[in-house]
Order: sequence, then C-alpha cells, then structure tokens
Amino acid sequence: MNWNLFVTELVSGITHGSVYALIALGYSMVYGILKLLNFAHGDIYMVGSFIGFGIIDVAGGATNLGIPVWLLLFIMLFCAMLGGGLLGVMIERFAYRRLRNAPRIAPLITALGVSFFLENGAQLVLGAQYRSYNSFSWRSPIALHGFTLPAQARISYAGVIVIIGTVVLVIGLTLFVQRTQLGKAMRATSFDREAASMMGIDVDQVIVATFFIGSALAGAAGVFNGIQYQQLWPYMGFTAGLYAFIAAVVGGIGSLPGAVLGGLTIGLAQAFSIGYISSTFSDAVVFAILIAVMIVRPSGLLGRAAVSKV
Amino acid sequence: MSTDPTNPDAPRVGVDEWVASHEQRRTERSGLLGVVERELARVPSPAFYLGFGVAAAILPALTTNGYIINVGVNTLLYMLLALGLNITVGYAGLLDLGYVAFYGFAAYGYAMLASPKFGLHWDTLAVIPVVVIATVILGFLVALPSRRLVGDYLAIVTLFFGELFATVYQNGESMSLLGFTKPHDITGGPNGIPNIDQFNVFGSHIQALDYKAYYYVALIFFMVLLFAVYLVDRSRTGRAWRSLREDPLAAELMGMPVNRLKLIAFACGAGIAGVAGTIFAAVNTAVFASEFDFTSGLLIIVYAMLILGGAGSLGGVIIGALVVNVSLEVLRDPGHATWVFYVLIGATLLAKLRPWRWLAVVAAGTVGFGFAVHAIVSSAWPRGVHGTAAVGGALGSGLSHWVILPSNPTTIGNIAFICLVLAVLVLTLLHGWVQKLAMIPTLYLAAFVWENRLVVEPSITRLILVGVILIVLMNARPQGLLGTSRVEIV
Amino acid sequence: MADKLLELRKVSKSFGGLRVISELDLHVDEGEIVSVIGPNGAGKTTLFNLITGLYAPDGGDILFEGTTLLGLEPHEITSRGIARTFQTLRLFLNMTVKENVMAAAYSHTRAGLLRSVLRTPGMRREERGIEQLAEERLAFFGQRLMGYRWNQPAFSLSYANRRRLEIARATATSPRLLLLDEPAAGMNPVETHEIAELIGRLREDGGYTILVIEHDMHVVEGISDRVVALDHGVKIAEGTFDEVATSPRVVEAYLGTKAASTK
Repeated sequence: MNWNLFVTELVSGITHGSVYALIALGYSMVYGILKLLNFAHGDIYMVGSFIGFGIIDVAGGATNLGIPVWLLLFIMLFCAMLGGGLLGVMIERFAYRRLRNAPRIAPLITALGVSFFLENGAQLVLGAQYRSYNSFSWRSPIALHGFTLPAQARISYAGVIVIIGTVVLVIGLTLFVQRTQLGKAMRATSFDREAASMMGIDVDQVIVATFFIGSALAGAAGVFNGIQYQQLWPYMGFTAGLYAFIAAVVGGIGSLPGAVLGGLTIGLAQAFSIGYISSTFSDAVVFAILIAVMIVRPSGLLGRAAVSKV
Repeated sequence: MSTDPTNPDAPRVGVDEWVASHEQRRTERSGLLGVVERELARVPSPAFYLGFGVAAAILPALTTNGYIINVGVNTLLYMLLALGLNITVGYAGLLDLGYVAFYGFAAYGYAMLASPKFGLHWDTLAVIPVVVIATVILGFLVALPSRRLVGDYLAIVTLFFGELFATVYQNGESMSLLGFTKPHDITGGPNGIPNIDQFNVFGSHIQALDYKAYYYVALIFFMVLLFAVYLVDRSRTGRAWRSLREDPLAAELMGMPVNRLKLIAFACGAGIAGVAGTIFAAVNTAVFASEFDFTSGLLIIVYAMLILGGAGSLGGVIIGALVVNVSLEVLRDPGHATWVFYVLIGATLLAKLRPWRWLAVVAAGTVGFGFAVHAIVSSAWPRGVHGTAAVGGALGSGLSHWVILPSNPTTIGNIAFICLVLAVLVLTLLHGWVQKLAMIPTLYLAAFVWENRLVVEPSITRLILVGVILIVLMNARPQGLLGTSRVEIV
Repeated sequence: MADKLLELRKVSKSFGGLRVISELDLHVDEGEIVSVIGPNGAGKTTLFNLITGLYAPDGGDILFEGTTLLGLEPHEITSRGIARTFQTLRLFLNMTVKENVMAAAYSHTRAGLLRSVLRTPGMRREERGIEQLAEERLAFFGQRLMGYRWNQPAFSLSYANRRRLEIARATATSPRLLLLDEPAAGMNPVETHEIAELIGRLREDGGYTILVIEHDMHVVEGISDRVVALDHGVKIAEGTFDEVATSPRVVEAYLGTKAASTK
C-alpha cells in the first residue's frame, strides 16, 4: 500500500475540496433563495483570482514584494472578496432581477449568457495566456515550505492557509446565518419568499446580501486556489464552477453543511481518481457519483426533500 | 352586441363571454398593418417553410462566391442543430446543455467509419444510418438516468456530460480499459481524425471542398426533417410533449407517460444532431474534440439561435440560425463588421428614441462631442490619435477624425471596455433627459472600444456578442422573435 | 349489490413522522357519487394522490375493478380508468382549450412517431376521432367552452371556465371513475349551483362514477349518495348526508368539543 500516494492525494483532495466547498456555498445559497442556477458564479471565482493577482502585481510583483507576506495575503483576500461580492450584486441587479417571476428557463439562459460574457470579456481584457501567482519571495515562504506529514508526504503552508481559511469562513458564515437578524431573514426567504415578504422582510435586500456573501466566498476561493495552485486563466471559472455545482448538488442544494460536505467529497474523489487511475477517468468518476446520488438520494446527502403540495 | 338587460341572450357586463370577446376585438391591429397581419396569420406555416426551401435552393445559382456557399452550409448545419434542440428544449421543455456532445459523437462516428483512421471506408448510405442510430441510442442512455431530474439538475448533469465527452475524446489517443488493456489510439487525441472521406454513394462521390454539393445535401436533409418535426408537432406526440412542458405532473395524470416522452424527445433531438454531425465531418474533412467543448461557444451559439427565434417555433429555428450565423460571419471581417456596428446603433436609436428631437439631440451631440474630444486629445497628446480605423474608405477616414485611435490601444482599450460595461449598466438606471444626455458620452465610448479593441479581436468579440444577445434577449423579449409569450405558474 | 369499483383496504400513509392517512377503508360502487369531507389537513387530497399513484401507501391495498393499483405508474392508473382534477388547477395554460382536452386522449390512442410523420390513414382517422372526442367533451358544458373558445389559450379563460375545462380534460381520458378535488372552490353561488348540476349530469348522462372532495355542504348535500368524513387521516363517519352531518364526531371535528356536546 503506497501510503505516500494516499496521504498526498488526501491532502490534495482536502485543499481542492475546500476551494470547491467555498464556491458551492455560494451556489447553494443563491439556489436556496431564488431557485436559480447561477452559472456565472464560477466566473466570479475567476475574477476573484485575478483580483488577487492584480494585488500581487501592484505590491511589487514577482520578485520585489514590498510588504510582508501575511499582510499581502490579507489584502488579496479582502479585495477579492469585496470585488467578487460587488460583481455578484451587479449581476443580480442587472441580469436577474427582472426575471424573478419569469419562467425558470429565462434566468438560466441569462446566467449562461452572463457567464459567457464574463469569460470572454476577461479573455479580451486580460489575454488568453495562463497567469501565475508565482513569485520567488512569494513561493519561498508559503508554497515551497510546509509541514511534513506521515508517510513522507507534505502539505505546504499555502495548503494549510487554504484549509484554515476555509474553516474560518465557513464558521463565520454559519454564525452569521444562525445568529444574526439578516441571516435569519435569509433562511426565512429561502423557505418561502412570499411569506417572508409578508412578514416584513425586505426580500430585495436579502437577495442582494445573499449574492454578496456567496460571491465574496467565491472570490476568496479564487485567491485560495491561486496561492495553492498558482495558475489562472479566463476559463478557469467554468470548470471549477461545474465541479462546485456538482458538489453543491451532491451535498444537497440549499443546505450549507451539504455544500461543504459535497465540496470535500468531490475534491477527494477527484484527487484519488487522478492519483490511482488517470485524470480523464476522474471526470467519469465524478459523473458517476453525481448520477448515483441523483438516483439514490435526489435531494443530496444532507439536503431536505422538498415537499410540495399537489 | 347590445347589452340590453331585458334580453336574456345578450351578454352581460362582467360575465366572461363579453369580456373575452372584447379582448378578441382589441388584439387586432388597425389599418394596413392589421390587414397584413391577418392575411399572414391565415397562411399555414408549411407555406413559409416551402418558401424558405425554394429561396435557399435558388441561392447557389445566384452567386459563384464559394465563401457564401460555405457560410450557407454552416448555416444549414446550425439550422439542423437548432431544429433538434427545439424538440428537446422547445417542445418538451428539457434543458439539455450537453446537446453538442451528440453532434461531436456523430462527427467522430462518421470519421471512424469513413477515413484512414481504422482503414474503414464505408459507403455513405451505410455510415449515416449507423451513426444516426448510434447517436439516438446515446441520447437514450443520457436521458435514462436523467429522466427523473427537474430542470436545473438536468441542465447541470447534461452540461457535465457534454464536458466529459469532450475531455474523453480530447484524451483519446491512448485509451485503455482502466489499465487492463494496452492503450489504443481511438480518437486521435488533440489531433483529432483527419482525412475524412467525402460522401460517396455506390462509387460516385462528392469532391472535397465541393460546398455546393454539401449545401444541397444539408438543405434536403433539413427540409425533410423540418417537415417531419412539423408533422409530429401536430400529432398526439407533439401535444404530449407540449403538455409535458407545461406541467409534467398534470400530463402524467392525464395518461401521458412523461418519463417515456422525455426519453423520446431526447433521442429525437440527438438523432437530428447525429445527421448534422455526419455532414459536418464530411464537409470539414477533419474533426477535433476541442470544437465541441464549452469554450468553443458552439453550445451557446446554438442556444442563442434557438432563443432568438423563439423556442418552440419552427420558423424561429430558421430565422434564429440565419440571423445569428450571418451576424457572426459578418463580424469576422473588420470592415464589414464596423459598418454593421454603426448601422445597428443607428437603427436602435431610431427605433427606441422618441420623439424625434431627442434622436437629433443625441445624434448631433455624439458627433459633436466626438469631434471636440478628438480635437482636444490630438492637440494635447499627438500619439493618441495615430492609429488607423479598421474599416477603409470614406467611413474609415471619417472615423479617424472622430474617434480617438491611440497607436498603442490595448491597455487603454481594455480599461475603456470595463468603463463601457459600467456606463451601460448605469444608463439603464437613469431616466428622462439625464439618460438621453448620458447616452452621448456612452455612445462615443462604445465607438472607442469598438475601434480599438473589439474589432481587432473578432474571434472573442463574436463570443462576447453572443453572451450579450442572450442576456438582453431574456430580459427584453424572452419569447424570441417568433415565439408566443408564455404564461407560467411559478 | 353493485360492484365495488374502487376499494381501499387499511390504507396508511405517513410523511416523516406525520401520519396523514391511517388504516383507511373506503369503497365506491359503480354509478355512485361519494363525497369526502373533513377539515383542512384531514388527508383528503393525499387520498387522491394515493389513488392516482403519485404516492405509494405505506400499508394496505388499493383495488380498482378488483385488481390492485399498487406499483403502477400514475399514467398507467389513468389509462385503467381513473381521472382527476386538482385542487389548485393544473391546466396546460399555453395550449388552447381544445388542445388541453385532446392531449388527455393520449392513453387511448396509438399512433406513434413514424405513423404521425407518414400521416397514414389510420393515424388521420385517429386524429379526427380525438378532435371529435374533445368537441363532445367540451359540449357537455354548454356553450361556455364552445365555438371560438376552442382556439383560445387556456390562460385566457375565467376561473370558473378553467375549472370546467379541467373537468372536461379529465373526462377525455375515458375514465370510469372521476376524482374531483374541490370542484366548487372559489365559485360564486350561481356557479356553485351549476357545478352541482354538472356533477349530477356527469353521472346521469356520462355514466361516470364520482368521488368528490368538497367543502361546500350545499353541494355535498345536493349530489351525494354517500358521504365519508375524514379527520386527521381517520374515517370518522360514513353514511348519507344527514347521518354524517349530525354525527357527533363530525361536529366535534369541525366545530370543536363544546359544539359537539351542545348538540
């Protein structure tokens, strides 16, 4: 039994899974409230990633970091989350708001259009080449060094940052949803939008907040992905978004713990498939998991089965 | 109709017959337009389809330009795709986002059976049925686990299936069965399958690059399938599909086997994509997996065609494919594209800005504003106006005096692009004269972005345009050009 | 004794921890009109959903014409001869009035894709038959759904006409048993009276056996051969309208214990 491979893939699965979990949370939140699949969500992740890249560039770029690494990380996260959140709010306001009571296909197609627009707009403005968070003084402290794990496997500091960051964000989100007034309003609205508005909840405000928070998480995921895996390109949002959405569905769409569980599941499934079989088959494995969950437990691992009155 | 209360047969105010027939009277247009509309409504749809068929058949005789015929072939292929998608999405209401995978599967299937790849050179009369049937079966297989899925879930599953297909075929140059067998080159990997045979029937075959012949082949297939779908739409299966789209639960309880109908819709759509795929492979003489993944935009383009024309409308399939593909082709050539760009903006302003004085104000204002800014910039910073417009001739020289064309436009063009997006969004929030005045700098900015960035990168611009079409269409007119506006219980 | 067309034996259904139907015995004889009454939440619509196969019962059996319906898909149950209307109206809104009714004739017709494309004489005959069937079913409701109405989209109909259309659509499946879920809901007294008459005509002229869920006691009184009262998923009374209306358990369920004790 090759323990080194096992632990390495375990680490890879958890870090990838954390990124997926953060994106999946946003998908789940928006779907819970609007019953809308926001295809553009993955592209917000991409924009967050590039915002982080821009910050590195401004802070001195590849070789000449002018500020300490931890401060840089903080600024990157903050800006990516803010930028992502604002982008999400703008998309809701201008592309989806009018379609709240339209047939379900309309916002879905619009979301496809927004996603395509963002991807190609980014390609126009940023160019198609792969960028990287690489930076010598950057890589050195956190990407090249790290902890040694059992079986001679390693986890870089970057990986630890990703996992801890995700945990912090998820805990923060949970506290927000459980303890604050706005969080309660979000939960109420996701159960029954009409009833919530009749109870005095400003549904527009709740929806905007949901988009902001979900998109901010996606932006953070973009930065996390960048510091761990370095590579970014305009179409990265599509693939990551797809996996994250599958994660949200597998975990139970509308359920926040489900999104996290789903993200980890898909991340681990991918990592182990790539490690033990091949990267092409990892897609097939993920697809098989999705189909299996759809057939056996359609509401997802932790989802509530929606009971609608006939 | 009198409303005499003493007459028991006269309609009474507020009773539904009276209200309903009142509405009947009001929906008709008055005057000449009304007459035209009424007469057109009387013509049965097959007449229009026939008219289109005749017009399309005459086209190759009117021009010797091979490029136009080529565009024609591609348009017909798109029409076939939109026709198949119309069954799945338009009739049955199933959002299949992996549709293009059927197209690719059929193209590869044809390539495998009629090229040097595996040494098979089957006669076309054998290949096409085999490939189409295989694609139909694939459609069944995809639909089988998906049939219990509701809209959004179906969309994601099919989208992932489409990507899976592209990935598997992209990496197919060394496929082994889970490591148990030796790796074989099945799909040619990133190099695809080249040197595909042309259509040949009993020995006589089409010359390579004979677009005219393929044009007629595609046209015949399209017309036959168009009429077939038309006839199915007016049969019990068509009614059942439409009921399924309206309310699957009610349809099931009214005796329609909803799951089976979904399978059939998927399979039919896949089959039509299969037909298109074989023609595609023969026309292009080579297939690559990258042409069928999401980033190629093929799926989005077909959806844009379907939505623009109106999902569920066969005439819409024709119009949507025509409009979108011709627009995309025009966009390839910067000169033509620029003409279309300015004409479109002018036409939109003409149609939307009332009364006329506002139109005059905005038009004159934009022109004047432009010249003024150009003059200021050229005196203060000469390198800002050294570039050249992409379009030649009078328009080109006029534009180079109006639009700022820096010699190094890329960075500032990118910033301007982002500013333009924000400006347009802000514009939708304004009203009244403030909005009209704000149009002036926005229009100028649009021209700036067009000349400096968009027109220089036509491959990206066309994709951006498709995305914008979808967003605007869904917000402004979700039923498309020829669809009827639908009522839905949310 | 008339044949039991529909029979429920000890049927139970729970959702999670909530027992919605509990050991229910119910039967409808051929040609009867049976009303099911009970306060909201008594399980009446769930009963319809169980009969039509949308849910599977947790226990018990449902027999139609002597054979069990358990395990059948809803569309199969419909083609066996049971059709229903919905409490909240589920018409095919964007299809025309006539098409709504024609669509429901699916299960008794056979023309497949190939024959539809080729327009075989058999298929064309079948289509004409379907159209005729739809026209007849719509004619049952007088002039309200006739003439120019046939080609109007269903969403343009008034509420009362929508309810009538839904009944017409249900009858197009050529059922033996009709399940009507609150057919008079939301109607004014004139329309309610018409519906009650209509239900009677459905039995007399149409020959249908009818199981009705209804709240309006005037309607129930006017049409029912038998009344079954449910409360919390349990049958609390069964008999003629007078017997059930005066049963203390029924009064208690509707009006509370104090009211029952004062009777």
